[in-house]
Amino acid sequence: MASFDIVNYSLRPSKGIQRQIIFDGIRMLKSRLELSDMIYVGLGSIWFSDFVQAHKSLDIRRMVSIEADDTGYCRARFNKPYATVQVRHGHSSAVLAELHDDDDCQAHPWVVWLDYDGRLSEAMVGDIRAVIERSPSDTILLTTFKARATSYGRPEQRKERLRDLLGDVVPDDLSKAGCKGDRMQETLADLVTDFMKAIGVESARPGGFIPAFRIIYKDTMEMVTVGGIVPAPGNVSSATDVISDERWRCRPQRRIVAPLLTIREAVTLLSLLPRDDELTREQVRVSGFDLEQEQIEAFERYYREYPMFAQIVA
Amino acid sequence: MVVNTRGDKVDASPTKGFFVNMITRDITLEDTILDLIDNSIDAAWHNEGGQAMELADTVDLSAYRISISASPERFSIRDNCGGMTLDDAVEHAFSFGRRGSQELEEYSIGVYGIGMKRAAFKLGTNIRVRSTYTDSDGAREAFAVPILVDEWMKNDNPPWDFDIDEDHELDDDGVEIVVESLREGTKAEFGNPAFIRNLRRMIARDYSLHLNRGLKIAVGGKAVEGLPIELRQGGGFAPVRVEYKDQAGEDEVMVEIIGGMAAPPPESIDPDDAKDGDRRFGWYVACNGRIVLAADKTTVSGWGTSDWPQWHRQYSGFIGIVLFTAANAADLPLTTTKRSVDASSGVYLRARRRMRDISKEWIAYTNVRKQALAEAKRREAVPEAVPIQHVKKRLSIALPKLVRVKTEPVANVNYSVPVSKMKRLATELGNVNMTYRDVGLKSFDYTYDDHVGDG
Repeated sequence: MASFDIVNYSLRPSKGIQRQIIFDGIRMLKSRLELSDMIYVGLGSIWFSDFVQAHKSLDIRRMVSIEADDTGYCRARFNKPYATVQVRHGHSSAVLAELHDDDDCQAHPWVVWLDYDGRLSEAMVGDIRAVIERSPSDTILLTTFKARATSYGRPEQRKERLRDLLGDVVPDDLSKAGCKGDRMQETLADLVTDFMKAIGVESARPGGFIPAFRIIYKDTMEMVTVGGIVPAPGNVSSATDVISDERWRCRPQRRIVAPLLTIREAVTLLSLLPRDDELTREQVRVSGFDLEQEQIEAFERYYREYPMFAQIVA
Repeated sequence: MVVNTRGDKVDASPTKGFFVNMITRDITLEDTILDLIDNSIDAAWHNEGGQAMELADTVDLSAYRISISASPERFSIRDNCGGMTLDDAVEHAFSFGRRGSQELEEYSIGVYGIGMKRAAFKLGTNIRVRSTYTDSDGAREAFAVPILVDEWMKNDNPPWDFDIDEDHELDDDGVEIVVESLREGTKAEFGNPAFIRNLRRMIARDYSLHLNRGLKIAVGGKAVEGLPIELRQGGGFAPVRVEYKDQAGEDEVMVEIIGGMAAPPPESIDPDDAKDGDRRFGWYVACNGRIVLAADKTTVSGWGTSDWPQWHRQYSGFIGIVLFTAANAADLPLTTTKRSVDASSGVYLRARRRMRDISKEWIAYTNVRKQALAEAKRREAVPEAVPIQHVKKRLSIALPKLVRVKTEPVANVNYSVPVSKMKRLATELGNVNMTYRDVGLKSFDYTYDDHVGDG
């Protein structure tokens, strides 16, 4: 069963926050590097949340969504939000290869977001490699995958599993502890980033690969998003400047675990923000309800990106 | 100068550009760094008396440290191995063309003159070499050699030597080399996490004999642990360990050969199951302690040459190592990059005959083993791993005499399924890394039990 049958994509606040931060980041890169006529390539599913953002906040017209599932393809075509979204039927590896062979696609920088819902696999690693090796200069690559430790075998098997997937970048002294619990998400984020850098060097991309995104988030499942840019040589220093600027928010130290709030709760909290001091649990209680301290902190950190949903009775 | 057939003289003085191109084009970045490590180790070895590096001796290198750091901005290597004297610097390291082979003594492996200059030209364009040492009168001396390559290249007129400046002392007697303004290719590689991790692996392997004597090498602040080379001994298994003297021209070369079972041979010879499981097996060759050929399964070590079959997965489990030791590094059978052996060297070819005989004993054992698997596995569980330094002397390899057992005819099954499904099934069966063969066998047993059920 495809994951869109299990999860309503719109209702995951951490995912929503993550997406908002990332599109803000891409907008900064796009503006500083003066990128235009970009192509968005994604796995739009039937919800197309990222495609809507790509169009609204990045002004990208040309968009390609890849869908392997037969029914999903049919539903995706029905649900595509804009006329300029093209839904391609096939596995990502095959569709990416077609796009890479297309001279017209090669003439514009891409934003590629391989937003998988499963654990990292050989096929995904192959897709990441292909994008870094073959995409046009100034392409921005993101990938999201499931990062729960138990998805990668038993603790003592995980290092070997990662070695199988990512090869030489996996250090020989990676400990079992480094592949357990929350540490596994950090390990995966770092090693997939290292893998991307290694491919950038080994495929002799003139501007290399510059890591720019590293976000760990959790709604019901621990997920990792990592990525970066394969800049044209002339854009390396501008890209580095953007990413090293303190306003760059796409590599947060802490994972994003947003609380599930009712609209009423969220609106009440918003009315207390922004503020110079930290919002306390006591202040939340005074306003009529209660939350754990870490839920309050998470909301305060990302209140501007926190998604609001209401049920529409049609 | 060269002289042509008519007797006219031709000006054959090389340009600096030609020289730089010549010494840097055929060497990899990794080997450039290993060259510098060789220099440090030679200095340590010299301090310890410069004797022959045989396995049995007890030279302790635990007082010596080599620290390497490499980033896209800067490369540095620093050691406390005693330092390079001013004489060495003037006569060898920073001069051009004054060194003869007679000076390659003391069981060294590095070639100062080349290593330093290569590093200078291969890594970057702004180099500073510093050395602090204690002279024969017990006084500490220090000097520095700054090299600005672009400046130096501007003028082809001799002498080409670099300037040597006075310098303040380093904390310990030793050498420090810092390279900045890295070349584009170097910069990119130093930013590649896989390069740095592979460099660590290479150091762990090539210097395992030194590291196992206590030498400390750190890359990026993290110590590298030597790859242990161990063979199994006991229960009818015993590695061969022979020593003999050979001649390279007038000079003597000591040869030591050790070989035996490092691990039981594989259950399956299916290449899909190989992964990197057989990466450590095969022949190793060390020259004055430096491993120059590791886990070789090619014609270089003899596999697939006359009267010696090609390497096959079936032979996994075997490790052999040949150590060549010579006072003059020029007598050793190694290539100039120190990344392989010179397969035309007489010293090496004579050793290879013995390597072949040892290999063939192992091949024969693995052949019989296939038809006496249960007995073989029982016996292979007995012997214990022993570091090669502690392997006892023995003229030939000992392997158990197995008796072939007549077995029921077997059917081999071969089919293809998507990797993703295979991995998912392996995970469900309890091990995501399970070999494809084992997944197949377990699935067969499961189905057989369900449908036939007679055990």
